This record gives sequence, structure tokens and C-alpha cells, in this order.
Amino acid sequence: MNPISLEVFVVTLGIAMLMLESFVVSTDKRYLAWLGIAGLAIAFGASFFARPEFIPPNAPYASFYTADGMAMFFKRFSLLATILVLVMTIDYTSVIERFVPGETKGAGVGEFLSLPVLTCAGLMWMVSATDFIAIFVSLELVTISFYVLVAYLRRSEGSLEAGTKYLILGALSTGFIVYGITWIFGVTGRTNLAAIAAVLPGLPAASHTALLFGVGLVLVALCFKVAAFPFQFWVPDVYQGAPTPITAFLSVGSKAAGFIVLLRVLQPFLDFGPLHGKLETILLLLAGATLIYGNLSALPQRNLKRLLSYSSVGHAGYLFMAVASLGVAFARPAIEFYLSAYLLMTFLAFIVMALVSRSVGGDDISHFAGLARRSPWLAGAMLVAMLSLAGIPFTAGFMGKLFIFGVAIEAGHYWLVVLGALTVACGFYYYLLVVRAMYWQAAPEYAPEISVSLAGRVSMGALALLIFIVGIYPQSLLAFLG
Amino acid sequence: MSLFLFWVFAAMMLAFGAGVVLLRNPVSSAMCLVMSFLGLASLFFTLDAYFIGIIQILVYAGAVMVLFLFIIMLLDLKAERARKFNIPAMAGGIAVLAGFVGILYKVLASNAEYLHAKPAFTVPFTSDVKAVGAALFTQFNLPFQIIGVLLLVATIGVVVLSKKELK
Repeated sequence: MNPISLEVFVVTLGIAMLMLESFVVSTDKRYLAWLGIAGLAIAFGASFFARPEFIPPNAPYASFYTADGMAMFFKRFSLLATILVLVMTIDYTSVIERFVPGETKGAGVGEFLSLPVLTCAGLMWMVSATDFIAIFVSLELVTISFYVLVAYLRRSEGSLEAGTKYLILGALSTGFIVYGITWIFGVTGRTNLAAIAAVLPGLPAASHTALLFGVGLVLVALCFKVAAFPFQFWVPDVYQGAPTPITAFLSVGSKAAGFIVLLRVLQPFLDFGPLHGKLETILLLLAGATLIYGNLSALPQRNLKRLLSYSSVGHAGYLFMAVASLGVAFARPAIEFYLSAYLLMTFLAFIVMALVSRSVGGDDISHFAGLARRSPWLAGAMLVAMLSLAGIPFTAGFMGKLFIFGVAIEAGHYWLVVLGALTVACGFYYYLLVVRAMYWQAAPEYAPEISVSLAGRVSMGALALLIFIVGIYPQSLLAFLG
Repeated sequence: MSLFLFWVFAAMMLAFGAGVVLLRNPVSSAMCLVMSFLGLASLFFTLDAYFIGIIQILVYAGAVMVLFLFIIMLLDLKAERARKFNIPAMAGGIAVLAGFVGILYKVLASNAEYLHAKPAFTVPFTSDVKAVGAALFTQFNLPFQIIGVLLLVATIGVVVLSKKELK
């Protein structure tokens, strides 16, 4: 099977969902979520039959599109993330109905369900893109659908503010990436990454400054996408204001695809001797600054959504540690492993948070007080997520950090490892604050029963189980990495 | 001749670009932006890129500017005019600008080869529009299709976000 048929299928699925929402008379739109989940699950299964050999070598898209192991792994990753977003949305429809104006009940839910499916197609193209033009258009597809999704809850001021902020800063970062691509194209005359790698050695030494300038601009824009320093300041407000399923999608899907693009874009320039040293210095500084900023800013947070947003910046820092050590053979698998662990624990935390905040009416840490006595299972799931995010042994998060630190030591970046270990200690403090609230504090007076749908229960159980399986037996995941 | 035209249009672009930022009245700013776009389009014409020049005028000076003016009409102009200059923000902006121009100068000065006249065409000049269309539908078909999905998403977004609020 030709791998590109997966994206075609996902786009068709998104359009079919839109059509059904327009023509089928029903106020309960949740069947669309089930249709989407089923369709994406079919694509997930079909992805194991897709082989890059089925792309005709003379096809016009062959120079824009690759289906190597990393691309296929992250196509599955995007499909899984989107399925989890749809599962979260099933329990979230009441909030959408409250905050989106409409003539009939359930207005706006259909679009809210089909947009992530189209975004998923964009993510799948992004991880396959091998040409600056394909990178740019797929990146924009993803970013523009996120603008819409973040601002979706029109009656909520927070959501509108988040949408406006994300739009303006996103447009700025788009400007950076286009300008950077222009410089790289101006120096090399190519937009294809493989072609750029081929012409780099023949360039006159005088062009290297211009090339570094272009790569630097592209790097700044990609830092925006993966929420890394110096372009991280949008993260807390946007994460807090956006609808919770979209926050989870943004923090996992957008970040993972951004890192894959970063790896693909940096590879030719890191392999090019004269730029290697300078780029490595830049990446090391970015990693250090992101680690410090993300983890220190998370310390005083008392709102769980903001806390998780700063922790998302912190995790970008750990990932950058491995990006700065790309010369080590195990660096790529370590990044892929870390991103997969990050998917498991972040989605688990966000699913629990969406359920609790929907019933209690807020997402401060104090809203989680006494959760262990009210809903022991939800508290247990959150406990697993927090332990894994902090990096306690026998969880996926621990193995991810272990691999990343191992790679950084092998590359000789000892000071970065020391910094990483110190920031992990910060992480213990703020992640365990949530655990303390759940297990050792009295419940607030208003503490209604929290009902969980079957899909929510199954996905939480599966995620928690996978966190332990991957944490105890990491080979089970490493075998799948490209 | 072509060099003389370059200086004229480049100066026009920069002068009106500065006007966009410095003028207090938003309508004047928008008009300056139109003129700046025209200067950029003229630069494309002097480089024989007629298609891009025309698109620059049609899309930016035409469509985008009309949209800008609509938005400006909905704004409260008096509040905008009464706003004080924010000195630290301005100083910061100038510092960033100076740094950027400095880096740009350093990059451009690093290679003498960047300073050269426009090379002559090696292949006979054919219709721009035809060439762009052919490239779009053959070699660049995948990005073109992705842009199709992008426009679909943007359309859904506009419909959803601008739906009328019911009382």
C-alpha cells in the first residue's frame, strides 16, 4: 500500500464527518466522534501495511514526501494522539455546547470533532516532509487549524484571548520561517533537504554566514512550534485558555511533529563540517535555557493547566538535550522514545484534568484536593501520570529521561546533564504538589460525583498500563521505533 | 536605468514602510502600506517577475488592504490617536531593529558575490502564468493539494468563529 493513501484517507474521513454533520439531523453529535475514532483506528491498522517501496520513484511528490521508519512511527503517533483527542471530546461536548452559540443543541460539536482529523492529516504530512515547501504548507495547515481550535469556545474570554495571542505570535513565527527558508534557498538554490545536503560542500566559505543566518531564523520559528526558549512565552496563556482536549493535542501533536521537522531540517546542516560547531553551541544554549525556564517557572504555579504548560516547556528542554547530541547514534531513538512516553503521560494527565475540571468547575490544584477519597481511580490515574512526568523509576518518563541523559553523556555534554538532573529535582517538587493535594488534603465543600464514560475509562486504563509496561520493559517500544 | 529604478522603488518602499509605523492615524498607515506594496511590486517588475508583481498588487494592495480598511473602520480611531508613545517599547523596538540591520549588513558584506547585477536569462523568456500553472499542477502538486486542505480548514474556522450570536 502506498503510504500517502493514509493521509488521503484521513482527509476524506474529515470531509465525510463534516458532510454527515451537515446532512444528518441529530442533536447528539457524539456518533461523529465514534466514526472518527473508528476511521483513525482503521488508518492506524493500515499503516502497518504501508511500505515506502510502493511510492513510484518518478512520482512528482516523491521529492516532497518520505515514508522512512521515523515518518511511519510518527504517523501512527499522530493517529493515536487524534484518537485520544476525540475520546476526550466525547466527555467534553457539554462544555462546547455551553460556550459555542448555535440555533440547535449540539451546534459546533461536529466541526470541533472534524477539525482535529484534518489537523491529523497535516501532522502526518509534516513528519513526512523532506522539502522546505512541503514543510511550510503542512506546518501552516496544522497551525491554522490550531488557531481555530484554540479560539473555539467563543463565549469564553480566556479561549478568545488565547486564540488571538496564538494567532499573532504564530503569524510572527511563520514570518521567521519563511524568511529563513528564503535565505537558505538564496544561498543553496534548493528547497529539497537532500538536494541542499548535496550542494553544501561545494559552497564558497563566504556564504556560510548567510547560511547560518537562514538556519537560525528557521530554528527560531521551530522553537515556537515545540514551545522552546526563546519563543515559549505564548505557552501558558494559550494552554490555559484553549479547550482542554485541544491543549493536550497542542502539547503532544504539535510538539512531536515540530521535533521531527527540526531533526530533518537540522540534519544536513549538522552533517556539514563548517556549521557543525556553531549549530551545536546554539542547540546546547537553547536546551539549557529551555530547561531552566520551563522548570523554574513551573515552581510557583497553582493552576494545573499552567503548571502542565510550563512542564511542557521543560520537556522540550530535555528533548533539545538529545537534539544537541545528534552525533550519537542513539539520539534519534531516544527522542522518539521520549516523545512517545510524553504522549502517554500527558494525555493521561489531561484526560483526568478535563473530567475533574468539568465537574468541579476549575483547574487549580486546589480543585483536586481530596480527589483520592472521592474518586480513587481518577486519583490513581493522575498519580501515575504525575510520577511518570516527574521521572520516577519503573515509569515511561523515567526511561525516557535515562536514555536522553545517556545520549548527552556519550556526546560529552556533562554540564547539561548536571543541569538536567537539577531541573528533574525541581520537577519532583511541582508534580508532587498535585499528588499531595489529591491524597493529603481535605476535599472542598462542593465536590460532586465525577462520572466517566466507558471510552474515557478504557483509554485511561490503557495509558496507565502502557506507562508501566514501557517503563519496566522499554524494548517493547524500542522495537517499533524507526 | 534598472539600477536607478531600483533605488527609486526601494526608497519608496522604505519611506512608506516607516510611515506605516510612525503615523498616528490608522487610515494613513493603511494607505502607506498600499504604497509600500506598490513599491515592492515595482521591484518585482524590474526583475522581470511580472506574475509575482501583479499578484502582489492584486492580493496585497487589493484584497488584503480592503480587509484592513474594513477592520480600521470598526476601530475607535480617537482612542488610537490619544495613545502616548511608549518610550521603553520604542527603545526596545529600535534596539531589535538596529541589531537585525547590523546582522543583515554583516551577512551581506561577508560575500562580495551577493553584489551583482541581475543575470540575463539563459532560457528564452516564456509566459510567467503558464509556467507557474504548469509547475503547480505537475511538480508541486502535493503542496498544492495540502494548501487545498488548509483552505478548507480556514473556511470552517471562519464560519464557526464568526457565526451570529443568538439572543
